Amino acid sequence: MPNVITADHMTLAYNNGAQEIIRSTSFRIKKGEFVFITGPSGSGKSTLLKSLYGQIIPKEGDLVVGGLDMVHVSKKNLQRLRTHMGIIFQDYKLINEWTVAKNIVLPLIIAGFNIDMQQTQAQRLLKHVKLEGKGDLYPLQLSGGEQQRVGVARALSKTPFLILADEPTGNLDEYSSSVIWDLMENACEQLETTIVVVTHRIPTIFNIPYRHFIIENGGVHEVH
Amino acid sequence: MKSIKNHVMFILPLLAILLGIESFMVFGRVTASYGENLKEAYTILVVTRKPMDTQTFHQIDPHIERAVPVERAAIVDQITEGMTNVTTQEILEVLPRFYTLHLNRYLDSAGVEAIKKHLIRHPDVRRVETFGRAHNANYNLYMLIRTALWAFVGFMIFSSLFLVLKQMEIWQLEHKERMLVMEILGASGMLRSGVLFRIALTDALVAAVATIGLFAFLRYYWAVHSKIDLLIQKRALLFEYQDIAVLLGVSVVIILVSVVFVAHNLKEVRDA
Repeated sequence: MPNVITADHMTLAYNNGAQEIIRSTSFRIKKGEFVFITGPSGSGKSTLLKSLYGQIIPKEGDLVVGGLDMVHVSKKNLQRLRTHMGIIFQDYKLINEWTVAKNIVLPLIIAGFNIDMQQTQAQRLLKHVKLEGKGDLYPLQLSGGEQQRVGVARALSKTPFLILADEPTGNLDEYSSSVIWDLMENACEQLETTIVVVTHRIPTIFNIPYRHFIIENGGVHEVH
Repeated sequence: MKSIKNHVMFILPLLAILLGIESFMVFGRVTASYGENLKEAYTILVVTRKPMDTQTFHQIDPHIERAVPVERAAIVDQITEGMTNVTTQEILEVLPRFYTLHLNRYLDSAGVEAIKKHLIRHPDVRRVETFGRAHNANYNLYMLIRTALWAFVGFMIFSSLFLVLKQMEIWQLEHKERMLVMEILGASGMLRSGVLFRIALTDALVAAVATIGLFAFLRYYWAVHSKIDLLIQKRALLFEYQDIAVLLGVSVVIILVSVVFVAHNLKEVRDA
């Protein structure tokens, strides 16, 4: 399987490079792999994830995501790359003025798909995440677990090659969390989507093979 | 409710700007009309040794638009009234020529003085009367009206722009989350600003239509029913069809600048 993410001696930092968070780390993630990244608070888990969707540019070293050099990527290419990714946030980041259905198809709206395609995909995904009949509601009319399912549906709507999730179950109860993990397992298994999840804790019941990286003292180490 | 308040908060300052601009155009037309009347009423009296025509006067100074000879026979008739031993022909032979000069625009006193100097230098011109005092009084009043208008409209537009900018900051806070989410998901700047642009465009159209409606009402209804002759005669100055294009154009430019301002300030910062 080809590499989807390649980091070589990558250093990530804030404050114009003054504050190093991740130091000279190297790793490779292949197509269809499910990866958990764990570590203590403030260790740089979210920073690492942000570098994967281009919000942070590596200070040193190389980072290639989906074949694109993230150190020198142009704004236009970064935009294009992001339209082929799914991103899930701990606080859902849904647009509260839009209906659930419209939130789900936001990546299709961005990609310029027509209304018919958007509606068809919205109905399919609402069913997939078990939110049938709730497409016309607004996010704030849903529970936290339901909102995160909308977030997952949005991430899946354009069948991305890579899903990045930042603490996707951080605000959810056990039942809602298990629903979210099921959805992500399915995406990885059936669509061969690469999934990278930053989390405090790996779920106790997880049904597919996965890799596990720990961030400690600025280094990223794989747990075998 | 909050949404209506937000629209009103943007429409009101925009309305104030458009009212300021339309008032400026109306007063501009009124002062231009007043200036035209002053120009028509103002003449320079010139006494010449020989007959001269408009073209000759125009060559002396290009501001001279028209020269009208004063009827000499009427003057002579007045002079010879009661005189018996002088013939009209004799007087006409020695009497110089009189002309009233009309200018192409209403000049300040320095401009009038310059014309006087040019005329005096000509060998056939004997005397020039510019009626300086009356001209200065009228010109100063004209300039006072114009300056007061500029100051009023300038203040109105400046304070309204400030209010629009304040509203932009509120928009920025409201739309920040949505625009950043869209940016992270790969939306172009155009798409991110699209919603904001549509909202602002609606507000701009409401403000422009309200201003157009108000001044059209003033011209076609209020002025007609005012029973003031001057207002009825000059009602065309209150509103012209080209004002519609100006008001729509200005409101669209304001919202474009506003949306670009908000979109620019909400751009994702990539840490390096």
